[in-house]
Amino acid sequence: MSIYLLPVLILSIFVYAKIKKVNVYNSFIGGAKQSIGIVVGIFPYLVTIMIMVELIKISGLASLMAKFVSPIFNMLGIPTELCELVLLKPFSGNGSLAILNDIFARYGVDSYAGRCASVIVGSCDTVFYVTTLYCSQTQVKRLSYAVPVALIATLLGAIVSCLLCRVI
Amino acid sequence: MNKIWFWLIACSMCILLYINPEIVLPSMLQASESTLKLCLKLCAIYSVWMGILQVMEDSGINKKLSKLLRPVTKKIFGPLDDKTNELVCMNISCNILGMGGAATPLGMKAMQRMDDGSGKANRAMIMLIIFASTSMQILPTTVIGLRITAGSSSASDIMLATIISAIFTTVVGIAIALIIEKLKKIKRRNK
Repeated sequence: MSIYLLPVLILSIFVYAKIKKVNVYNSFIGGAKQSIGIVVGIFPYLVTIMIMVELIKISGLASLMAKFVSPIFNMLGIPTELCELVLLKPFSGNGSLAILNDIFARYGVDSYAGRCASVIVGSCDTVFYVTTLYCSQTQVKRLSYAVPVALIATLLGAIVSCLLCRVI
Repeated sequence: MNKIWFWLIACSMCILLYINPEIVLPSMLQASESTLKLCLKLCAIYSVWMGILQVMEDSGINKKLSKLLRPVTKKIFGPLDDKTNELVCMNISCNILGMGGAATPLGMKAMQRMDDGSGKANRAMIMLIIFASTSMQILPTTVIGLRITAGSSSASDIMLATIISAIFTTVVGIAIALIIEKLKKIKRRNK
């Protein structure tokens, strides 16, 4: 079912555009042209945040923090195995996928930890990555409450994920 | 952002200076290199999606969608001009459909239009960031793919839970932000 979803959607967009007498070829080129500019614009921002992610990972700071917060997380219903994932998820999508794979290998895909981790990874995006990208093209320096609220929401989401996995 | 970045970098560096000073620079270069690779990949993804999106825009699908979602966006983001509203609606739909590659360039364009040059994020921008970073996906395709590769006996049984918790995350994020906006308004009135 899901493998048809995107191809059919794209095809119907093209067909609809053709019916509306749009020059699909030129229009597509016009859109594709903008992509290089965007990527050049976001590169410096991405590099900066990726360096940070790499450093906190290899220095062991991430696992150290995970150990530190695990009692609090346990109280909220998040098992110790998932602490590092919950902490790193806001920073790096690829990083959290790597941890997810690690959890699968260590505890089993269909174990409670494995299912919980899947739900957590699937249910929200990487907060810092998105924020960096979205702000890269603007002059915004001060974000006021955007990041804290997003982080709180993701944390609450993780708690709910763990609860749901117990029930379902 | 500024503070978080500085402190995390500083702490990691201190630890590394103690345990393994020679890998600091190589790993920074490594990170930069992998980002360059990521950007190339993103460039490819954006080219495809922005092509498709341009076709959608030229054929008027955007306008229809934006009219449909207008009441919702008005509640959350406050008043937006037509073009921005269109971008926001497309961004949200792409996020929900799991086309993250398409959602990002749209979101960035919308942010550019919302920017008032004051250097401070306004309400609409904050909402968009919260929405995008807690984005809900109907089909968590990547995760299901990973589960299948890892040999799960029922790879997609996490779907229901994922959808529920995704909706929950987004709703909570937006709700908190709306409450903060309300409080700010009351405060301003009291002054």
